[in-house]
Amino acid sequence: MHIPDAFIPLPQAGVYWIIALIFIALALRWARKELSEEKIPLVAILAAGIFAIQAVNIPIPWGTSGHMMGAALAAIVLGSPFAAVFILTLVLIVQGVLFGDGGLTVMGANIINMGVIGGFVGYYSYRGFYPIFKSPYAPAFIAGWLSLFIAALACAVEMALAGTFPLGLGLFSMGLYHAVIGIIEGGITASAIYLIATARPDIMANTEGVPV
Amino acid sequence: MIGKKTFLVAGIAIALIIAAMAPFIASSNPDGLESAFFGIFGAKELEGSTLDEEMAGAAEEEVTAITGNEFSFNSPFPDYSIGGLAKSGETAAVIIGTLLVLGIALGLSRIVTRKE
Repeated sequence: MHIPDAFIPLPQAGVYWIIALIFIALALRWARKELSEEKIPLVAILAAGIFAIQAVNIPIPWGTSGHMMGAALAAIVLGSPFAAVFILTLVLIVQGVLFGDGGLTVMGANIINMGVIGGFVGYYSYRGFYPIFKSPYAPAFIAGWLSLFIAALACAVEMALAGTFPLGLGLFSMGLYHAVIGIIEGGITASAIYLIATARPDIMANTEGVPV
Repeated sequence: MIGKKTFLVAGIAIALIIAAMAPFIASSNPDGLESAFFGIFGAKELEGSTLDEEMAGAAEEEVTAITGNEFSFNSPFPDYSIGGLAKSGETAAVIIGTLLVLGIALGLSRIVTRKE
């Protein structure tokens, strides 16, 4: 879902950067206030793991592929959507600057889609579904799926505003592909939460949601 | 429950294993956004699987003309590759990226959380 430079006109790309910078500032404030020293290794491992898993493009039907985004996972494990903004921004900067994955002028839009929308949808849908299931795994799967799907629809709307995609066809095709890629997102999110909660239940943010 | 050190080492090991495997298992099919783009610009059927390379090139020129965003930038390791090296270069590139993200995340978190 990494938007390349050519897909968005520069003035719009600038607006996305400004919005992204506001969320980056809020994410830094979250880190300063909420991030305890014992969780720093977890942040670093999540960031590195998310970078690595984003390089794994899994084939889906229709000659297409997709990879995990990781925002829901970061937000659930660290207990804040801003954790996802913090981690995904770092990942996107390294991807864009070093590997040409995602444009630089449009990086603000990519941070909004994958970090902000992914993080907020992932975190709040997990919190919303948890009381229904009373177990972390089904809500984590749903949160992963929704975070990717909604981020993809937001991307389609941005493409329509840019004049790149017609709105209806953009929403249909982005929705179709990412509804399938979302299964990957949901599955890995739930599995990773199982692993982390089993290994270190003490550092999971939503401890009430994790059987020890 | 495992120790702090074991958790850190295991976490880094898992990230590096995924990084090392990525170039071998990753699909080279266009991703969801690219596929939608090629479909909408006629280089591929939205629900088909073959990409018309010539049309794909034309689509990229067409979208640049629509948005007027001609910014381009030569990244040092484009598409996770290292010039002159094949798969081993890609593995090295993803591992370098993973270690770099790990280092930046550790460093930045330490700086941001530092209490005066």
